[in-house]
Amino acid sequence: MSETVHLTIDGREIAADPTVSILQAYAQSGAELTANVGCMGQGVCGSCRCMVRKDGERQVSTLLACETRVEPGMQVSFIDYFLPAHVHHYDLKDLHDSWGMLDQIRAVFPEAEHCRHCSGCDRACPKGLPVQSGVAFSVAGDIAAAAAVFDQCVMCNLCTLACPENIRPNHLGLFVRRSVAALTLRPIDLMRRLREVASGEMSVNVTLPRVETATAAPRLAAPAQDR
Amino acid sequence: MTSMISHAQALQALRPGADAPMRADGLAVNDLLERFHPDYGAKARVSLRIGANAGAPCHPALAGLLESNALIDDLDLAGAEPLATDVLVIGGGGAGAAAAVTAAMRGARVIIATKLRIGDSNTVMAEGGIQAAVGADDSLQRHYEDTLRGGHNEGDRALIAQMVSDAPEVIRWLIDLGMAFDLAEDKALGSTLLRKKAGGTTASRILCHRDFTGLEMMRVLREAVELQRGIEQLNRCPAVELLSHDDGSCAGAILYDLERRSFVLVRARAVVLATGGSGRLHLQGFPTSNHYGATADGLVLAYRLGARMCDLDSFQYHPTGVAHPRHLAGGLISESARSAGAHLLNGLGERFVDELKPRDVVAAAILRECAEGRGIARDGQTGVFLDARALVAADPDILETRLVSLGHLAAKCGLDPRQEPFLVYPTLHYQNGGVMIDGDGATSVPGLLCAGEVSGGIHGRNRLMGNALLDIISFGRRAGTRAAESLGQRQAGRGGINHVHRWRRALAQAELPADVRAPLLYPSYGNFHLRRTAAA
Repeated sequence: MSETVHLTIDGREIAADPTVSILQAYAQSGAELTANVGCMGQGVCGSCRCMVRKDGERQVSTLLACETRVEPGMQVSFIDYFLPAHVHHYDLKDLHDSWGMLDQIRAVFPEAEHCRHCSGCDRACPKGLPVQSGVAFSVAGDIAAAAAVFDQCVMCNLCTLACPENIRPNHLGLFVRRSVAALTLRPIDLMRRLREVASGEMSVNVTLPRVETATAAPRLAAPAQDR
Repeated sequence: MTSMISHAQALQALRPGADAPMRADGLAVNDLLERFHPDYGAKARVSLRIGANAGAPCHPALAGLLESNALIDDLDLAGAEPLATDVLVIGGGGAGAAAAVTAAMRGARVIIATKLRIGDSNTVMAEGGIQAAVGADDSLQRHYEDTLRGGHNEGDRALIAQMVSDAPEVIRWLIDLGMAFDLAEDKALGSTLLRKKAGGTTASRILCHRDFTGLEMMRVLREAVELQRGIEQLNRCPAVELLSHDDGSCAGAILYDLERRSFVLVRARAVVLATGGSGRLHLQGFPTSNHYGATADGLVLAYRLGARMCDLDSFQYHPTGVAHPRHLAGGLISESARSAGAHLLNGLGERFVDELKPRDVVAAAILRECAEGRGIARDGQTGVFLDARALVAADPDILETRLVSLGHLAAKCGLDPRQEPFLVYPTLHYQNGGVMIDGDGATSVPGLLCAGEVSGGIHGRNRLMGNALLDIISFGRRAGTRAAESLGQRQAGRGGINHVHRWRRALAQAELPADVRAPLLYPSYGNFHLRRTAAA
């Protein structure tokens, strides 16, 4: 196998195979792993947030540990999750009037208009989404553009941590996306089928297919005697 | 050691552009499964010796956990922080979230306890989509029969019928919560849903949000839980044992608070177990596509309290797990790729199976190619090719639109799907069996409900793509409703662990070891030991 890479994760000196992710290296080091871990490589759960400083660089970047390969001399710190002190509360059911959407965005996320364009959210996003523009689109009411910006957001909350104005950009983005779906998504085939099911016009006959005409299931080996 | 074809040789064998030929020597489906699917071999099952399923078959690794000793003792209860609620939901994936939101909307006080964090689950990792028979060319009956046939006629017909009948309403409920689905046409009103094919189905029935449907579902559900009045979240609080009344009914659960390193005793009128599956047991040495938390905890807890189970020897190996590079092994390549037309090729450049057969058949076909010397070897990893070259050539935008996750994965694998196929091998994906439930998620233990992957009976011995996301919402909502109905029915008595004492006697009588303790809570590589940390 190839040479070993040495790096520091949460203060632990760790030797790792160069092909593994930060998260795999941490687990293989014998550290207890009961937090900041989830999908382990798919990059969709947003749990394994960490700060990474690469060897010889001053810049610290925020990344997902399951998607980032180890490098020699890396310094890594996981960012623990806490329940936020401030949450933007809303009930989607209050949004029945789509003419009020602009006002709703302002009412629920009043801080969004205070964006100081520091780009902290853009730098924080491990997926490279243009978060700050998504905030601007939301404030301006360009709902489709805002929804597109946040389409691939994994809700890791790193932009929320980074925002000095407490905008919670990912939650703003999700609010906009949920509003669009709840207010405008009305597929006609679904509506027709719902009507057919409700009226009893369509239902399931559980006696079909008849048991005797069903294909035989493949045979299982007998249970082993010893374990 | 079986011979393999080298990766370089296999690349040579690829035919540029032209359609690959299909091997003509296909085995009958039952022969293929019996000879090559991991569920059917001699190492796949033992008989359980104690508990409600004594005498019934179970995978040996799972049997070891089901027939194990509890993690806790009476002494631990004495020092535990007491809490009380109407409904305790254990597990923060899609089923748990749906149950919690539904119960709270009906006025119940809900505690949702999660091992990691709300949303950390297999749900968020689901890619392909969710089945609902909405097409004019489709029907509930077809969905029902496809599901039954896909599970080799072993599924519970009434449960399947109820689930497929729920499906259209499930989609509407999700839309009302703010979940987006892809449309066939880009117009505000009058559009139809985009429908994809799934292996083993007779109609296009998969509804999706691109190829990260589970992420879209889970981020909406997580937000719904967080904003719903009446739900308290206890994150990083795995359940270590259920609580019982003297009559054997469920009285709540004992959690272990990882932040405080202490026990919490939650009394509840109803418990919804939504702990998911068991992929992280890496059965028969397979890699897994599953979430870190999938360690069969719910099965262990429910079995110890007396719940009946079914099909504990039946698991799904998803055909297309990543085989190379090694550090991504087991990660999922969504069935969306095959649904869109990607082909499977062996080392000779031949197709060897209809890619849209049910998953167990396709997985067995891949294992057969590898066993018979037509597999492909690269850096010590083996598999077959998943070839999306023609697909991407025909629709150059597809990696930015419908197959976004596939594009991301290709980048991580360091390959260009326009030029080179993926190396894939089956990966442990889903627990087909589990706790037996009725249509409301009620188990054989009063007060204990189950929803999602921890429950069994719906998918028979093989699940179809898109039926898991449907299952968790259909049964999650029903379990939440039923749990909320038990409001005020039974006094939440103190509860205890007499069932554990009875269980220990049964272990001793069967001469089973007392030092094997479960639930595992975390995979072995999580390096977690309850006693060491609790004592520290």
